[in-house]
Amino acid sequence: MQLNYRSGSHALPVTVRREAGGEFTVTTGAGAQTIAATLLDTQTIQLVIDGRPVLAYVVRLGDARHVWIDGQVYVLTPESSAAVEHAGALAPPQIVAPMPGKVLQVLVEVGQQVAEGDGLVIVEAMKMEHRIIAAAAATVRAVHIGAGQMVDGGAILVELEYGTPA
Amino acid sequence: MQRILIANRGEIAVRIARACRERGLTPLAIYSEADATAPHVRAADAAACVGPPPSRESYLNIAAVLDAARALGADAVHPGYGFLAENAEFAEAVGKAGLIFIGPPVEAIRVMGDKTRARQTVAAAGVPVVPAVEDLPVDAAAAERAADALGYPVLIKAAAGGGGKGMRVVRNAAEFRAAREAATREALAAFNDERVFLERYFERARHIEVQVLADAHGAIVHLGERECSIQRRHQKIVEETPSPGVSPALRDALTTAAVAAARSVAYVSAGTVEFLVTDADEPYFLEMNTRLQVEHPITEWVTGVDLVHAQLRIAAGEPLWLTPASLTPRGHAIECRVYAEDPAQQFLPSPGRVVLLREPQGPGIRVDSGIAAGGDVTVYYDPMLSKLSVWAADRDAARRRLIAALRSYAVVGVTTNIAFLIDVLEHPAFVSGATHTHFIGEHLASWCAADGNVELAAIAAALHTALAPAATAARGGQHPPATPWQTLGAWRLGGAG
Repeated sequence: MQLNYRSGSHALPVTVRREAGGEFTVTTGAGAQTIAATLLDTQTIQLVIDGRPVLAYVVRLGDARHVWIDGQVYVLTPESSAAVEHAGALAPPQIVAPMPGKVLQVLVEVGQQVAEGDGLVIVEAMKMEHRIIAAAAATVRAVHIGAGQMVDGGAILVELEYGTPA
Repeated sequence: MQRILIANRGEIAVRIARACRERGLTPLAIYSEADATAPHVRAADAAACVGPPPSRESYLNIAAVLDAARALGADAVHPGYGFLAENAEFAEAVGKAGLIFIGPPVEAIRVMGDKTRARQTVAAAGVPVVPAVEDLPVDAAAAERAADALGYPVLIKAAAGGGGKGMRVVRNAAEFRAAREAATREALAAFNDERVFLERYFERARHIEVQVLADAHGAIVHLGERECSIQRRHQKIVEETPSPGVSPALRDALTTAAVAAARSVAYVSAGTVEFLVTDADEPYFLEMNTRLQVEHPITEWVTGVDLVHAQLRIAAGEPLWLTPASLTPRGHAIECRVYAEDPAQQFLPSPGRVVLLREPQGPGIRVDSGIAAGGDVTVYYDPMLSKLSVWAADRDAARRRLIAALRSYAVVGVTTNIAFLIDVLEHPAFVSGATHTHFIGEHLASWCAADGNVELAAIAAALHTALAPAATAARGGQHPPATPWQTLGAWRLGGAG
């Protein structure tokens, strides 16, 4: 069984083969190893690697696997997922609300030039003000919200066209 | 006093309900429409809805809370912390409704709730206060001149404030006007009072506070200090007692000033006097929190005093049973606040559903939790999931115990600050006790989660898929089939912990 995961910029191909003794031969980019694995409940898996036990919780949320190990949660998406973006890719032209909240102030107008770091919108969520800024110099192409409006997480607030006009 | 309305939600409401039950009192809950199935509702004997999810329409709605008290037959009200806990109008309305307010007298709340009156009152009692501009001119240019005269950096604070809301550090005159406008807006939104004032800002200060308990007959004791310097966004995330940076002489100065501050307003019940301590070991009064403090468990660990029990006994008129000699602290306690937030994204809250929850257990470990597996962290309230506190014989043993507990704490479904807290506790500056309010900005500003175990995580995910074919086969991998186990996954067998 071949599974291709991704976590941020890491591609994580894993091949799993069940051996006659019940153990697994697991092959990753780092090589092959023999691992014993036991499901303790539907979300809990115990691995034994080189005699060392590792406890992990695995939860499936949508396409992703959320895996907890040693105080940390790793979110693994399938490699084929179109949502994966390469590090260093251009900032998205659509500026979205990071979470549900209320728009306190719209700081820009359509057609306005903004520089990197300029404030676009101030959103209040969980009693704190969040200033949403431009990731690079751009021209404001559209403003979809107004002050006082409640917005959902992911709602498009402002659309930008990056680059400075000649 | 028999039926106690707990006018709060989350972990503190659960914690107060437990104390009521232990004392043979009946805990009663209120909830907003977003919280109908929350753990704090299940912790009570009866509950009443106080309105829609936004707190202004529910937990902050005095009329609705009093209606709930009447409907549930309450004879006393415990406000917890936050929400209406430091609202003098609420305390007054509770009294007028013929109910006991489990907290200080209305006038003490009123004086300490007004930062400028508080400063004047404690200063008159000989308590040192931070240099400040109390009457900030409305006119922008005049306000800028006042800030210049005080000297940068300055801190803009909400007159009615607390919890970092409406608070802004301004390092130079160019930033002042915008910062003041933002602070005014936040103050208005959070406290319905737009007044702000200025204080001199100390870059390398520590935040140390003193717990006091006072009865209705004039007796006041202190229960030592808490070091609360590790903060993000001016909100504490790690607290400990005793403070690693307090000499016996400074402790004497702090505790004496705290008792004097409490006495200056004829304080009753549990309260906390907050001080800023400069790098020259000068203490300045910051404010008094006229309520139970979030981080009260660490004081309970080292003194053996249950502060909520104490509040209930004092509210019933009992004279103070504690003496300074009975309050010698023992060992060391550290607490950290576990938040649904992303430390790699400016601590942005991370609302969502807690799909899997495994809380740490063991000797000397306490979890004050307000969330259960399957519960939602909503955008309406503070995203704190729990307070994890530990006790051990000395500071390093407590620190190691807390790290081990955090490593065993699993929360899946929302992003948490757990990995960040581990890094705070493992940082050499924390190990050596060199904590100050800029600890995070100085040492962990560009923090991001380590990915040391990411390959192991992929292996675990792959083997999980191999071992649980029923849960993953077919359906194009889009939706897991609804097996009974997955449906049950949203519930915690045996109810809330």
